[in-house]
Amino acid sequence: MALYELRFPELGEGLHEGRIEKWLVKPGDVVKEDDPIAEVENDKSMVELPSPIDGKITQIHVEAGATVVVGDLIMSFEVEGSADAEPSLGTTHAASDTAQASVQTTASASATETKAVTAPAKGATQPQGVSSREILAAPSVRKFARESGVFLGNVIPTGPNGKILREDVERFLAGADHAQSESHDGATVMLPHEAQSAQTSSAEPVQGNFAQGAALEERVPLTTIRKLIAQAMVRSKHTAPHVTVLDEVDVTELVKLREELKPLAQERGTKITYLPFIVKALISAVRRYPALNATLDEERQELVLKKEYHIGIATDTERGLLVPVVRHADQKNMWTIAQEISDLAARGRAGKLGPNEMKGSTISITNIGSAGGLFFTPIINFPEVAILGVGRISEKPIVKNGQIVPAHVMALSLSFDHRIIDGVLGQQTMNEVKRLLENPRLLLMEV
Amino acid sequence: MVVGELTEEVDVLVIGAGPGGYVAAIRAAQLGKSVTVVDKADLGGVCLNRGCIPSKALISAAHHYEAAKTSPYPGVETTATLDFSKVQAWKQTVVEKMTGGVKTLLKGNKINVIQGEVFFSKPDEARVMTETEGHSYRFNHCIIATGSRPIELRSIPFSKRVISSDEALSFDQVPESLIVIGGGYIGIELGQTFAKFGAKVTILEGTDSILPLFEPQLSRLVLRNLKKYDVDVVTKAMAKSVEEDETGVTLTYALGEETHTVRASYVLVTVGRRPNTEELGLDTIGIKLTDKGLIEVDEKCRTSVQNIYAIGDIVPGAALAHKASYEGKVAAEVIAGHESVVDYRCIPAVVFSDPEIATVGLSEADAKAENKEVSVGRFPYAANGRAVALNADEGFVKLIADKKSGLLLGAQVIGAEASNLIAELALAIELGATLEDVALTIHAHPTLGEMVMESAEVALGSPIHVVVR
Ligand SMILES: Cc1cc2nc3c(=O)[nH]c(=O)nc-3n(C[C@H](O)[C@H](O)[C@H](O)COP(=O)(O)OP(=O)(O)OC[C@H]3O[C@@H](n4cnc5c(N)ncnc54)[C@H](O)[C@@H]3O)c2cc1C
Repeated sequence: MALYELRFPELGEGLHEGRIEKWLVKPGDVVKEDDPIAEVENDKSMVELPSPIDGKITQIHVEAGATVVVGDLIMSFEVEGSADAEPSLGTTHAASDTAQASVQTTASASATETKAVTAPAKGATQPQGVSSREILAAPSVRKFARESGVFLGNVIPTGPNGKILREDVERFLAGADHAQSESHDGATVMLPHEAQSAQTSSAEPVQGNFAQGAALEERVPLTTIRKLIAQAMVRSKHTAPHVTVLDEVDVTELVKLREELKPLAQERGTKITYLPFIVKALISAVRRYPALNATLDEERQELVLKKEYHIGIATDTERGLLVPVVRHADQKNMWTIAQEISDLAARGRAGKLGPNEMKGSTISITNIGSAGGLFFTPIINFPEVAILGVGRISEKPIVKNGQIVPAHVMALSLSFDHRIIDGVLGQQTMNEVKRLLENPRLLLMEV
Repeated sequence: MVVGELTEEVDVLVIGAGPGGYVAAIRAAQLGKSVTVVDKADLGGVCLNRGCIPSKALISAAHHYEAAKTSPYPGVETTATLDFSKVQAWKQTVVEKMTGGVKTLLKGNKINVIQGEVFFSKPDEARVMTETEGHSYRFNHCIIATGSRPIELRSIPFSKRVISSDEALSFDQVPESLIVIGGGYIGIELGQTFAKFGAKVTILEGTDSILPLFEPQLSRLVLRNLKKYDVDVVTKAMAKSVEEDETGVTLTYALGEETHTVRASYVLVTVGRRPNTEELGLDTIGIKLTDKGLIEVDEKCRTSVQNIYAIGDIVPGAALAHKASYEGKVAAEVIAGHESVVDYRCIPAVVFSDPEIATVGLSEADAKAENKEVSVGRFPYAANGRAVALNADEGFVKLIADKKSGLLLGAQVIGAEASNLIAELALAIELGATLEDVALTIHAHPTLGEMVMESAEVALGSPIHVVVR
């Protein structure tokens, strides 16, 4: 008999934490390798965590709902025979986006005792088993975090060896002001008298989270996805000076064309929206102006012009904004694109997208038209350099050849990174998108 | 005590003006607090008056005397004479300069200094007894920094000839012979010093090696050097009793089953230090102590009593002056409303033996005990140009790093200037530096510091000045 300790594995590249949504097993259960043991929400989706091993669960160290950091001890198993998994500390990096559990053995083949299992503290949002001593950050950064009320265990490090830099804390702060409440129940050990003193001492201001008036506000912990969206948005806004050009397109012809195509779509068992047309128009436009279908390699200060066209489609889900990717959209026909978008959206809403399906876009589209609204400032899906925002199509009077005529008008907002792209180029790209959407038959000439 | 005496209100009361207390007082004053410091003895505490500073003054003088007697440089012929009373007078001026400095600093920061002994009467009130009167102070915050004093052996109580480090530092002449009970850092530092000044020294240590808190590789070199000065080191020796007469003391000790005696002019007992917590009236206000009599504190240096903080030798952890000062700053900052906590990855420790020992972070054994896979790099003084030119080619620098990431986990230095070399390594650990970071940092040539760089290169497998086998 041997004891295995399961530490929270990395669920995909660069994902450092996740939330245990639900345990699918309980202590005493006997599981086989690959049996799902938990549902874990990571930054982008819900994944099932498979058991790394055949064995009997002796202890679950983390409550459902808790956020855990890669490497945290989450479960102990009793297994038959000798420990055949590597007795390594830490984690193995999952080669693919399927979760691979790393395993640590603490007992030899013959030993039955379960030594060296440190039972972690309870507590819902506190990353388990991460002492501030184990977190790597320079003293000044630790001080800054403390003063800002940030528990370093919640911050995603970008420095070498997983070192937390000051910028990481700043990014965390900008994206997640909930940190305040978390840090206080986590970062410091509170003596019983402290809570008391906070209430009774008039000498010092009472700290917020002990304060009365709980009914006047409600504190909702941010989900992992929300935290990551926040960080991504802040990074994009802070690094890329956004310029947005706004324009209207007469899509009367497109509306007609779509009406014509609807029955055909029905026959094929799919639905056709305006999005596939916009995808095609955008690809055609950026083929002409390649600087927009690019990502920025900040480190090397190079613009990476992409010869492929993978279009990110921002999708609103209950879990937050996800950006699944239609890959090689330039090589696909309108039907296929339509089908893929609806499939990705449906799976996105169900939380079933794999991290790989949300990676590698070269330019993105965000559509708020379905919810109404005209113009807005889309935030670039960094390190991409441009994003097209699609607003509502409304019927409007327009002037055509000196005549006022009714038309269907679509609102478009194109944001781009002004470090790379100047206003004229942005507008030229917009003009090309417009030209194609105004004459949708031209689009049918595209592959 | 005067009937109807007034209680004075103070904002921050600091008890003890050692490196913990005076530093806390200054930081609190810097942060806008009005501060009162009380010490029953001299400003500067043990460290300045009876510890670090006077001991290092004597150690340096002894080192110089020794070097002058047998010049380390061939061709440089010297003769040395010793006037120990002048050495002592000089040591005293060093101490006075330092304590005078503390006085000036306290004054400059508008800190109210009182001489007297403090004990608590209520959780927010303390009484201060001066020689002539008593006075009560009500405080908003209090920092206890009363430090420690030498432990006395029950079977060998302090007397005229059985002394503690306090008296040893104030000898007015070099004793003819000296028995040191306890081979810890204080015993080794003082024993070696008096041996250099010419005393016949015997060191009795209860465990099986001197400096038992350090790895054998380190203590071995010190042991070798002690022998050079004709110091007898007896390990696994338990001191039993003394007999004192006009001219000296005879000490009886057990070595396994056998009983031995040894005679000397004085017996110096350095078996540890005891926290000064008994006479503060801590029980009357309910401050929790550990079973060793240390005050329990959290990471903000807060005791179990609201608004009372404790720092330095009276709280758990290493009894070192720099730790006391660090905690002093934390306590003062917490009182001033800052989010400070005791938060260090490592704390350096230095023994001013000959050769010097300095360590920081994890030793190789510690790392192995924690099941860490480590890379180790060791570079000898003998391969360093500066060390050879200093005629100080004894010792080594050793780095311990995490094997996978190369993160520096600990370092040990034994040899000349180890006490200074360790600072760079403490900084490297705090900053999360890797072996590569250290190896890629240009170190001036020719300096002892190059050994730090080269030991990192050894660990990385590519040293220039030694051959890797
Ligand atoms: C021989 C020797 C050598 C040393 N060498 C080193 C070294 O090289 N490096 C190092 O880091 N450390 C060294 N130390 C240890 C160092 O001196 C202590 O760790 C340090 O002084 C602790 O500081 P502190 O502020 O906690 O207390 P202390 O320095 O002990 O100061 C406490 C003060 O509180 C006062 N006090 C006590 N009780 C009361 C009371 N009831 N009312 C008012 N005042 C009171 C005392 O008079 C004293 O001044 C050495 C110690 C000794 C003995």
